[in-house]
Amino acid sequence: MLSQVRKIIRSLISKIFGKRSDIKIGLYGPVNAGKTTLANRICMDWLGEELGSASPVPHETREIQMKEKVTMEHNGKSVTFNLVDTPGIATKIDFEDFLKFGMKAKDAKQRAKEATRGVIEAIKWLDNMDLVLVVLDATEDPINQVNITLLGNLDARKTPVLIVGNKIDLRKANLERIKEAFPQYDAIGISAKEGRNIKEFYGKLFDMI
Amino acid sequence: MKLKIKFIPYEKTDGNSFGRLLKDLKKDTIILIDAKLNPEHEAELIKRTMEHVSEKFSGIELSSIELATKKDSASAKLMDVLFHLTTGKKRGMTIIGPAHIIRKIEKNPEELMVYV
Repeated sequence: MLSQVRKIIRSLISKIFGKRSDIKIGLYGPVNAGKTTLANRICMDWLGEELGSASPVPHETREIQMKEKVTMEHNGKSVTFNLVDTPGIATKIDFEDFLKFGMKAKDAKQRAKEATRGVIEAIKWLDNMDLVLVVLDATEDPINQVNITLLGNLDARKTPVLIVGNKIDLRKANLERIKEAFPQYDAIGISAKEGRNIKEFYGKLFDMI
Repeated sequence: MKLKIKFIPYEKTDGNSFGRLLKDLKKDTIILIDAKLNPEHEAELIKRTMEHVSEKFSGIELSSIELATKKDSASAKLMDVLFHLTTGKKRGMTIIGPAHIIRKIEKNPEELMVYV
């Protein structure tokens, strides 16, 4: 309730004084969907530096990471925002899953502990976002509880959403499946790793800010 | 291992009841709720679950279905709105289970398939 009032006040201020520069764009989604890879792509393209480290080991991002004042240009106009990369949301975290990646038991347990805190933080930060990029792995079935809960919460907060189907460079990728699962949202397919369709993504993002 | 299934009416589930619910989940109990949890409650449950994750309890599997679909007739949609307004709950079902017991929950718009 309070966050919605805050959002309305911010929107009124922006209407009176023009575009804000403290807009927060959050990258949210399940684990290993490529959120940090996309955050790094955006930061490299517009700031010339990366935001965080990406890895095939789940829960590589275990803390909220933010890059301030990212200025993006499109068709002769520019917009500035703060980019927030969040830990992947999960309903379970088993330290034994990390052992499969050759991690020592002690490190795996520590990673699991940090990952649980990361999920809690990511959920808490939902209230602070002005726009959310829901990053989904386009090779995976999009109908899972994490995605449904996440989109339901963004909808309840009236936060604008762009669904980003990542990993379209992989043969198993299926953007149509995402569009069919969540027809009420705008969705775009990209490969954050290879940069495929990234210009179209920036165009859509620019239009939403 | 004995598998227990506990039925909880939606009216008994709110943010305050999640502690008790997690206690059951940690004792290998599957919980069934006679309505769809709202998204804020789902997020709160995930947050509370993360606070309880340990070497012995890795978390939960959670899924819910809503009976109302986009293909419903106008009268069916109206019935759902009236039901929601009068009872405060959405017609459907929620299933929550410990992740070490429930392997996966497959969901299609009208049914849930639980693999234990």
